[in-house]
Parts: sequence; C-alpha cells; structure tokens
Amino acid sequence: MSRTARCGALCALLLLPFAAGAQSAPPPGRLLASNCFQCHGTNGNPTAGFERLAGMSAREVVGELKEMKAKPGEGGIMRVHALGYTDEQLQLIGAFFAQQKPAK
Amino acid sequence: MTTNRRQFIQMAAAGAAGLALPGWALGAPAVPTTGPSGRVVVVGGGMAGATVAKYLRLWGGTRLEVTLIDRSATYVSCVLSNLVLTDAVKMTRLQFTYAALAKNYGIQVVTGEVAAIDPVSKRVALTNGAAYPYDRMVLAPGVEFDTYLGLDSAAAKAKVVHAWKAGPETTTLRNQLVAMKAGGVFLMSIPPAPYRCPPGPYERACVVADYLKRKKPKSKLILLDANAGITAEKASFTRAFTVTHAGVIDYRPGVTINEIDATTLTVKTSAGDIKANVINPIPPHRAGALAAATGVVDVNGRWAGVDVLSYESTAMPGIHVIGDASATTQPKAGHIANQEARVCADAIVRLLSGLAPDPAPVTNSACYSPITANTASWLSVVFQYDAASRTMKAAGGGVMEAEVATKKNYEQMFKWYGNLMGDTFA
Ligand SMILES: Cc1cc2nc3c(=O)[nH]c(=O)nc-3n(C[C@H](O)[C@H](O)[C@H](O)COP(=O)(O)OP(=O)(O)OC[C@H]3O[C@@H](n4cnc5c(N)ncnc54)[C@H](O)[C@@H]3O)c2cc1C
Ligand code: HEC
Repeated sequence: MSRTARCGALCALLLLPFAAGAQSAPPPGRLLASNCFQCHGTNGNPTAGFERLAGMSAREVVGELKEMKAKPGEGGIMRVHALGYTDEQLQLIGAFFAQQKPAK
Repeated sequence: MTTNRRQFIQMAAAGAAGLALPGWALGAPAVPTTGPSGRVVVVGGGMAGATVAKYLRLWGGTRLEVTLIDRSATYVSCVLSNLVLTDAVKMTRLQFTYAALAKNYGIQVVTGEVAAIDPVSKRVALTNGAAYPYDRMVLAPGVEFDTYLGLDSAAAKAKVVHAWKAGPETTTLRNQLVAMKAGGVFLMSIPPAPYRCPPGPYERACVVADYLKRKKPKSKLILLDANAGITAEKASFTRAFTVTHAGVIDYRPGVTINEIDATTLTVKTSAGDIKANVINPIPPHRAGALAAATGVVDVNGRWAGVDVLSYESTAMPGIHVIGDASATTQPKAGHIANQEARVCADAIVRLLSGLAPDPAPVTNSACYSPITANTASWLSVVFQYDAASRTMKAAGGGVMEAEVATKKNYEQMFKWYGNLMGDTFA
C-alpha cells in the first residue's frame, strides 16, 4: 500500500534517517495567519469578541484589509495589521482562514 | 448572540473554579496524529511557555511529547494587573491554570521548581530530584529584578514592592494605595530600557493618578524615569501627563534611584532625596535566573541572545529562549511573547522533521493602555524578518498608537485580553 511497503527493505533503509519525522512542510500561511490569533482566537475562532475569521472567504478578508490599508483613519488598531503585511502575505492569510472550520 | 452565551458559560465555569477559564465552549482544535516524534521540555508556563507548549502539540502532533514545567500551578497575568490596584479588575480574573492545556492538547504538566538544565545529557532537573530528558528544550522563565540598596531586610521588602510580577505584591500595592491619606505622595520609578511592557509604567501612573483624583484629593504622583523620555506611546502619555492628569502626575525623566530607606520612606535619587507615602520602584530587569545558570545569557550580561528564525540560543544549540528573557529588537511583552512562541513551535516542529525554519517569520505586538477609569489608548506594531540584519524590523506604518484615548478602546481591551489569554491557556 504505502511506498515504503512496496519498495521493501532497501527503500526502508534509505528512508531511515527521515523515518522519525518524514513530513511535508506545514500549510502555507499558517504561521503568518497565526499573528491574528491573539485578537481573533486560535485558528480565527474568538472566545471573547471581535470578528470570527475562521470560515471567511479569502476575498472578504483580503478585501477588508486592503480597504483599511488604503484609508488613513480607518480600522483603529486593525489598520496597523493591514499595513504590516504585503499583499501576497494577505492573500496567504486569507486562504488559511477560508480553510478553517468556524466553531459554532 | 453566541459570544454572549459562551462568555456566560465561561464565567459560570470560572466562578465555580474560582479562576478564569478561557476558551472553548464546544471543543478545542484536535491534535493531529501525524508529525515528527521527539521530546520537548518547556520550562516556564507564562505567556511564552504556555503558548509554545500548546502549538508544539497542535502543530507537531501526538508523537511529539511535550512537558510544561512551572513552579506554580496557577499563573497570574501581569496584563491588566494595573487595574487590580484600583479594584477595576479582580485578582481572580488574572489567574489561570494549566488544566485546559493538559486536557485539550495532551501536554504533560508538571508543577515544580527547575534547579538546573544539563545541555550535555539533555536533561531538566527539578529541585525535588525528578529529571526530564529532552531532544530540544524551550526556556521561558520571564524576568528577574535587581534589588535596591536599603531594601535588604524582610521588613523593607514587605513595605516597598514593585508589583512588576503580578501576584501577592499586586495586592500589597493595592492595599497601600487604599490606605494612603488624601494629599499624600505616591512615588513610582521606571528602570532603564529594556524592561517588560514598555508602556506599562506610564499606564500604571495614569491609572493610579485617576484613582487619586477620585478618592484621595490633592494627592500627587511622582514618576521618576531612568530613561531620557517617555519610551512608548509618547503622544498618548504626553497628553495624559500634561492635560488629562495635569497637576497630579509630576513626570521627571532622567532620574535614577540610588538607595531607598523603607523606614522613613525616603528615596535617594540622582536628583536629590524625595519623601513619599507609598514607594513603588520598578527595578532594572534581567532574564530569569535559570537563563544565567544554564549559560544562555550572552547579551549585556542580562539577556539571552537568540536566532529569531527559531529562537534557538546563540550560546547553546538545542535550547530555545522565548519571551521576556530573550534579547531581540522586539518589546518584552505578553502579546508578542505569544507570537514568538508560535514562531518557535513552528521552527521546532520543522527541525524535528528535518526541515529548515520558516525563512521569513512575522510577529506583532499590541497593548491597550488604560488612561482613566473608562478610557484607554493602544499601541501596536508588526515585525517582519530582515535577512540582511537577521533581526525583526517594524513593518508597514511602524509602531503606531491610538490618536485619542476612548471608551471604545477601553471596552476592546477586555475582548483582546479574553482572546489572548484564551489562545494562551486553552
Ligand atoms: C503591569 C504590567 C502590565 C502589562 N501589560 C501588558 C500588556 O498590556 N500587553 C502585553 O503584551 N504585555 C504586558 N505586560 C508584559 C507581560 O506580562 C510579559 O511581557 C509577559 O508575561 C512575558 O511572558 P514570559 O512568558 O516571558 O514570562 P512570564 O509570563 O513571567 O512567565 C514566566 C514563567 O516562568 C516560571 N519560572 C521561572 N523560573 C522558573 C523555574 N526555575 N522553575 C519553574 N518555573 C519557573 C514562572 O513561574 C512564570 O510562570 C505587562 C506587564 C506588567 C508587569
Ligand atoms: C491587536 C488586535 C488585533 C489583531 C492582531 C488583529 N485584529 Fe483584526 N480586528 C481587531 C479589531 C479590534 C477589529 C474591529 C472589531 C470591532 O470593532 O468589532 C478587527 C476587525 C477585523 C476584521 C473585520 C473588519 C470589518 O470592518 O468588518 C477583519 C477581517 C480582521 N480584523 C482581520 C484580521 C486579520 C486577517 C488579522 C491578522 C493579519 C487581524 N485581524 C489581526 C483587532 C485585531
């Protein structure tokens, strides 16, 4: 079934150094988006107020933040966070929250 | 609304336990069963240590054994602790246990005093003789305070407190403030930077001054600053000192304390002697004692240098240092300690998987500062990794602060606190 099983002992030996943690890189955007967790909760599910980001579409998140970026005086403390990221980073952040399940 | 119902359930639960229990009414996110295997021991369960333990499991999976050790079974939050001085916030609201972290993420929680770390045999030893082996360890011991000349006796120590680590001293200072006579003098001092929570001392001055105006007419607050000027939220605090609390706060920059006489309540400073009714000096800080004992203190004899891609010590491989104990370009504060912890957790999971740390980490800091009993300002900044200097650099608009102190900010402060503590301890 698995590749290791099929290619047998030699492959297993070759793979050994990585056996402890053979793993792919973490989901893109996760570490970036975790900058929003302090105020919007773990994975974008707040427990004490402010917008729930989990389950919002990437377009919505990116759209809101770009709007704050463009308008001085808009967004209060949120504007700092809109300004702090490049548009590419905002895209990754938006994509991450779109994939999170909203905790109802 | 759901939020209100959830808050109600939480408050009911917290009331029953007598402690603040942040978090998940309907189930925390699940720990994955895939990921690298290994053992990570985290020492210090404060803002940095509790967060790194949580995310090591949440991002590293069940095969990563995570042990979290703190000397106390209950953590007392420094954040919001200035509001305990005026009874705006109850002490119980600052208290958190590790029960939710153990239950939700399968972290092994140990209550005990760490005596030593042996980087050769890779073991953490407690004073009770127990030892915990590790593949990598995270040191998050917070800060230690210098002592002033004159404050050696137990009686002097009991009478003059800094309350810059929330706990019994916070209650002592609150009681001293309540007992102070009208027309008295409350003296505070600020140590040279870096110290924990740059706006914190100015915030305390504002909160206490506001209380004095209401409860102790004609009293004065003398604020001695070892720094040349206000170190954070300069516009907000300049306005607070010269307008909002004019005539009450007497701000004196560039003044340091040489000695304190606890019997006569006299402070000997670089600008002469000052007598007061309550003395609240915040001493200079350094990394928690365990950092120096372990050998990771390599910056100015006080702080632990780290590589901000992974927070691995620049002095000792395999040991990561996060939070107030580390020396970086970032402020020593709880909100950013929580983010440093996630950068560190992500890096450790990658390293144990044979991968390199994220080459471009981002962090952010935020602080809501009460200015009066119902208004607050804020400070916030995003840091991006700068490969040329290998440091974290303020990005976007740089360090920004609220234009004015408002009621809305004061209300937002409690939502921020709830979410931050929920993310850290549940
Ligand atoms: C009045 C005040 C207001 C503040 N307001 C804010 C704010 O608004 N926003 C903000 O971001 N920050 C704020 N801060 C700063 C914030 O509290 C600290 O920066 C933060 O707590 C640092 O986290 P840490 O994990 O490094 O240290 P800590 O939270 O101090 O945790 C260290 C832990 O290590 C444990 N420990 C140490 N040595 C040992 C040992 N040998 N064995 C076992 N356990 C050990 C301690 O018991 C402790 O629990 C404020 C601080 C103060 C004093
Ligand atoms: C320091 C706290 C803080 C941080 C960090 C933070 N936010 Fe916010 N965010 C807020 C506040 C406060 C609001 C306004 C909420 C309100 O007024 O009810 C908000 C609102 C929002 C909104 C709704 C905007 C609107 O107009 O409806 C979005 C979307 C959002 N944040 C996304 C993010 C993302 C994405 C990040 C991370 C890059 C982030 N936030 C980080 C505090 C924060």
